[in-house]
Amino acid sequence: MPALTINGQSYFSDSPPDTPLLWVIREELRLTGTKFGCGIAMCGACTVHINGEAVRSCSITLGQVGNAAITTIEGLDPANAHPVQRAWIELQVPQCGYCQSGQIMQAAALLAQSPDPTEQQIVAGMNGNLCRCATYPRIVGAVKRASQIMKETANG
Amino acid sequence: MADTTEQGLTRREFLVRSAAVAGGTFLSIGVPPGSRSGQAQAAMAATPAFTPSIWFTMTPDGVTTMHIVKAEMGQHIGTAFAQIIADELEVPWDKVRLDTPLESVDNFAVYGLAYTVNSGSVTTEFDRISRAGALGRIALTEAGCKLLGAQLVNCYADSGRVIDKTSGRSIGYGEILQKAKIDRKFAYPQDFKSVKLKERSQYKIIGKSVPALDIPAKTNGQAKYGMDVFIPGMAYGSLAIPRTRYASKVLSIDETEARKIPGYLKAVKIDDSIGKCTGWVVALAETYPAAVKASRALKIQADPGPYGKLSLSDIMEEFSEMSEKAQESAAWVLEGDVEKALPQADKKLEVEYSSDMVCHAFMEPINCTVQHAADDSWHVHVGTQSTGFARMTLTAYLSKVLNKKPEDLKIFVHQYLVGGGFGGKQDYDEILAAAYCVKELGRPVKLITTREAYFATAFPRTPTFHRLKAGIKNGQLIAMNQDIVCGWMGPRFSVGKKFNNGTDWLQLDSWDAKKEDIDQWSIGGSDHWYYVPNHRVRAWDSDRTTWAVQASALRTVSNSYNMFVVESFIDECAHAAGRDPLEFRLAMLNGKGGNRGIPNTGYPPGTPSDYYMDQLWISLPWPQAGTWPPYESGTVGGALRLANCLRVAAGRAGWGSKRLPPNTGMGLAVSSAEERQSPTWVAGVAEVTVDPATGKYRVNKVTIAIDMGLAINPNNIKAQVMGAALWGTSQVTSERLTYKNGAIEQTNFHEYKPIRQADVPQFDIELIESGRHPVGVGEPASTVVAPAVANAIFNAVGVRVRHMPITPEVVLEGIKSKKT
Repeated sequence: MPALTINGQSYFSDSPPDTPLLWVIREELRLTGTKFGCGIAMCGACTVHINGEAVRSCSITLGQVGNAAITTIEGLDPANAHPVQRAWIELQVPQCGYCQSGQIMQAAALLAQSPDPTEQQIVAGMNGNLCRCATYPRIVGAVKRASQIMKETANG
Repeated sequence: MADTTEQGLTRREFLVRSAAVAGGTFLSIGVPPGSRSGQAQAAMAATPAFTPSIWFTMTPDGVTTMHIVKAEMGQHIGTAFAQIIADELEVPWDKVRLDTPLESVDNFAVYGLAYTVNSGSVTTEFDRISRAGALGRIALTEAGCKLLGAQLVNCYADSGRVIDKTSGRSIGYGEILQKAKIDRKFAYPQDFKSVKLKERSQYKIIGKSVPALDIPAKTNGQAKYGMDVFIPGMAYGSLAIPRTRYASKVLSIDETEARKIPGYLKAVKIDDSIGKCTGWVVALAETYPAAVKASRALKIQADPGPYGKLSLSDIMEEFSEMSEKAQESAAWVLEGDVEKALPQADKKLEVEYSSDMVCHAFMEPINCTVQHAADDSWHVHVGTQSTGFARMTLTAYLSKVLNKKPEDLKIFVHQYLVGGGFGGKQDYDEILAAAYCVKELGRPVKLITTREAYFATAFPRTPTFHRLKAGIKNGQLIAMNQDIVCGWMGPRFSVGKKFNNGTDWLQLDSWDAKKEDIDQWSIGGSDHWYYVPNHRVRAWDSDRTTWAVQASALRTVSNSYNMFVVESFIDECAHAAGRDPLEFRLAMLNGKGGNRGIPNTGYPPGTPSDYYMDQLWISLPWPQAGTWPPYESGTVGGALRLANCLRVAAGRAGWGSKRLPPNTGMGLAVSSAEERQSPTWVAGVAEVTVDPATGKYRVNKVTIAIDMGLAINPNNIKAQVMGAALWGTSQVTSERLTYKNGAIEQTNFHEYKPIRQADVPQFDIELIESGRHPVGVGEPASTVVAPAVANAIFNAVGVRVRHMPITPEVVLEGIKSKKT
């Protein structure tokens, strides 16, 4: 029975090792903030962090994850206090909201790697995440704002 | 329900509801019946809650919970409604909460049809929820005044308190509810009509960009969509891809390979006898991944049915042939006489336009969870645009499948957040299929379509074909004809009955003496607001197309293609007349004749192009004629408001003044989506640069000016308008669904390509508050981008593209043919 570390907690899964991580997270462990969109890593709705990197959980299997540290949207900050979440609320980014867990996880990983990204880096970094409500301009604005909040927090 | 409501009338509840109440003198109210469940209802009854109307409940802790029957699908409608009610009710914003009534037979009697479409929620509800809020304020002010021992004339309500202005003493709403039993009745319709609403200058919450109440749960993973429900003991279902989009018949199912998958339960051939879920087989398993594997492992033999050899090219060929047969068309617009006017023209244009299919491709794939409970009730958990139609459709289906009388079925629909709707979450196949699986398995079932199964069973916008004619004399457009051939979605929505002998609400009568049926969802936008003395629109229905592709409603419905055609063609006419496209449009947006708009909703029935918006898109039981205080029609001001938007957009974009780089052009367009009777006035300018070597083009900037009358939440309106404009950008630049041998060809997002971050243009959005009745903003801006882009491409490189989407190949072809 494979053991998983998600949001700092240990879980055991009954699923076979070829099961996409997405379905273990969502349906077995019931962390439903991670969304199913396409199943082929073309939309980004299922994005989680594995050892700090943004990964499409629909396209990595339980067996491939091993004992890596997984973070889902629920683990980012339940109180919405992460700079990316704060920026997302401040700029009122979500519309239907279905893709936003993935957008936020992608943005958080992007900022962890490049804390002060250029607009081009933001666009390139977020291009794999579809949003059918097309909240795209606010997403770019919110990533910039999150970067600013991170700086303020670091300096403050 | 009327009986219970009468009882509920005792003590604290006064009524603000429709004439269905016995006696009819007072409006009944409604206990917010079972907002969540029977338990919640009981709990609510036990607390001294005050429910002065069906739209909200107030509790002694000072909290007001708004009961929102509209689907929350990205437009933040709950927040908008709450702003409207809270302002008139004088409730402080931080004490506002939202919930969603459960859909049931009983609640239908109270709330009416729960249906979210047409960008119509604010338009149709603003007036009555304002009045409900104001009446609630009056009742609380009276009760508070009594408790203060003050004179009513000296008391007023402000931010959750009733204040005696002589003594300065005050009492909070919560305390009033703790101490007083409010037994106040309002006569309907007298009191409802006469209640004095706030002046706009008095608004405190309306017009403020308060943060949307549904957003915080969408940034920490707590938001609940239909797919996020768990029912004890449930199994999972995955839909196998049917042989054709519609009307295939399953002949045999070989489960040999599926049986090898651990957790596999069974394959269910869905009963498709009412013409829904045709050819559907669902694989059931203990886990979703196992269900998916099984649905792919099943070997299904199917008769492809009547459309098995049909392809898009056949459909387009048929459209072209149909358009030659004038006698088979129905006239939608008949102003003047096009045939007589055309020969008098000194310049004539005759061209063809067409558009491809597209689909909603919402991020949340179609899903539904159904439970058949021990008390024989059926519970549907889903995010849908209409819990009402969902319940009715399932009632019809189960009554047939289970051989039961509809009235013996207890069906409840639990609404969840909708992960994108766009007009596409109002077909209920997945609900019927999940319920049928529950019947076959004897356990609850969560059915999730894979993205591949979604595309295979999508409900697309119909392909369309148009013939356009124009006559120009002395630089004036004296005659215009638009012929529209497509699949009509109306007949399909009427579940197989073509227009129900002319009484169905989905049909309109043709303009001429023949009074033939026309699908209101095929001609929208062709009845534009330009003054053209001789104007004709004719419509043809390809019934085969309707059924073969399952034509459906997609964001602004027929406006999404008709505005592309009308606004591209008007541009062609301007150029042919040798006039500036801005000046040419403004001259015709003069408000002459019927283009002035309708002063109020009391226009005479039978007026062509009139379909009684307030009787259709309502959240109350169908009103009797004349029972509702009419609100101002959105058409007031007519074409003059559209002209104003165009001036603003053109000015902001720098039309005629901005210096543009080589191979770059600007294009204009206006739109009055959604319907002639429910317009939102919008103008757009696109700036586009074309690479003449490849035909590839980039939309650099989009400028939008939109007149929505009154802005409830400006920041959210900007978000909606931007999203809609990007939807339009996506449609014209990159979305295309094709159909071959009866099946949709695209399978996932590598083949169907909505716009992504890298292709987003710059935006400039101007909200125009004209002070008129507030109208919808979720869709209209999507219609101006495609024609504005087409017109910009023409101005950039002189190539006129008459097909949507506009591919680089077609642009390049145009450039090459110009050179030769």
